[in-house]
Amino acid sequence: MGQELIKIKGGADGFQLIVDSSAKLEEVQAELEKKLAENPEFFPEGTEFKLVVADLNKNVKKGISEFLTNKGLNIANSTNTAVQQKEQPKVNVNTQQNQGQQAANSGISQQEMTVVNRTVRNGEQITSNGSVMICGNVNPGASIVAAGSIDIRGTCRGIVHAGAAGDIEAFVVADCLLPTQVRIANLIARSPDNIEKNNFAEKAYIKDGQIVIEPIER
Amino acid sequence: MSEVIVITSGKGGVGKTTTTANIGVGLAQRGKSVVLIDTDTGLRNLDLLLGLENRIMYDLVDVTEGRIPYKKALVRHKKYESLFLLPTSQIKDKSAVNPAQLIVLCDELRKEYDYVIIDCPAGIEQGFKTAIAAADRAIVVTMPEVSAVRDADKIIGELGRAEKDNISLIVNRIRPQMVESGDMMDMSDIDDILAVKCIGQVPDDEMVVTSANRGEPLVGNPKSQAGRAYANIVGRILGEDIPFMEFEKEGLFKRLKKALGI
Repeated sequence: MGQELIKIKGGADGFQLIVDSSAKLEEVQAELEKKLAENPEFFPEGTEFKLVVADLNKNVKKGISEFLTNKGLNIANSTNTAVQQKEQPKVNVNTQQNQGQQAANSGISQQEMTVVNRTVRNGEQITSNGSVMICGNVNPGASIVAAGSIDIRGTCRGIVHAGAAGDIEAFVVADCLLPTQVRIANLIARSPDNIEKNNFAEKAYIKDGQIVIEPIER
Repeated sequence: MSEVIVITSGKGGVGKTTTTANIGVGLAQRGKSVVLIDTDTGLRNLDLLLGLENRIMYDLVDVTEGRIPYKKALVRHKKYESLFLLPTSQIKDKSAVNPAQLIVLCDELRKEYDYVIIDCPAGIEQGFKTAIAAADRAIVVTMPEVSAVRDADKIIGELGRAEKDNISLIVNRIRPQMVESGDMMDMSDIDDILAVKCIGQVPDDEMVVTSANRGEPLVGNPKSQAGRAYANIVGRILGEDIPFMEFEKEGLFKRLKKALGI
């Protein structure tokens, strides 16, 4: 076996299971068994895997899925980026529904929006299973972690993590974007050491496997 | 209409105790009756700045544990009749007083005095929680320095979580020369992050050190810039609308004189 058949990659909020397209089901199962046994504390029950495959036989895919389910682990569809809803966010103001998408992915209930109407200060953390909107500043030392995107109606100086469950489509927008770090999905970017304050809104998102920041109108 | 005010900062060494002493003396100069409570149990300093160390008989822990009535522990200031200090124990630690005890004590003090000012210990632990419990109003002291501002931000968040919404800010130890040359954060930088109403800008002043050593707060001393700044803060606490003072910059002549030691 020159090349590894399967790879498990840890992201911010989940694991990616990358399977070589030439792999046979039995081989994959054996390999998986070995990997999971190596560090069981890494994969507690209910751990979600995102299956990443080039083009894999449907049967193999199904077999892997069943195998993981038997182990008490979950598999997330590669197109399905929603996380399981662990807790209800404090404020649940806006529920966004995209009907067509909704019908297709019966797994997602609805996308949530957490709205915070104050300044988020040093030491505070806002987490959400959906998107977050902050009407106020995000100060240095504060962090915002969202499975969806983040909109800051103010100055952002803290750490922002959008798409924390692996959604590479997630983005961060702020009236003034001077974050300590921007994280999107499993990518991290930090601000230059001497950053100047701009007076236009900016957006950070993933483009060609990199986090880019560009001015936007709003 | 009496008020309980806590002076806090998060970071140590920014001048909480100095500010407490100066505000206390300043309010007493204006004819108010004031009690200063030191809650920095185990590391008390307020008595030193007021020059009252040798008059202490009982302390805060004796009062909260019910051994004596609070009146016995109050130390009257030697110069200002209406200013009292309630010192804390130097032997016990922060766990000796709990928030409920301080609330009971402050409710009693409220009936007799115009202002109760609590000097809070540094940090965000037990001692801080005890100190802020009884306060109607909080004054956060910071310095134009990244770490002090960062900690002040955290403290303002903590105060918000404790439902203390009347928060004002004092920026201490400003060096006008450095601000002008861009080597020190200026007021707008601080205001950008903290976004809290500022009631005082105090310049760095050597006389603060000498007055602390003598045990005589310099509030109201017309020779000292910091003394004038503290007097203005007292006025603002009393509800007066006082504009912020312009800092005198040290001219070449003054700096030369200082270098020559004249």
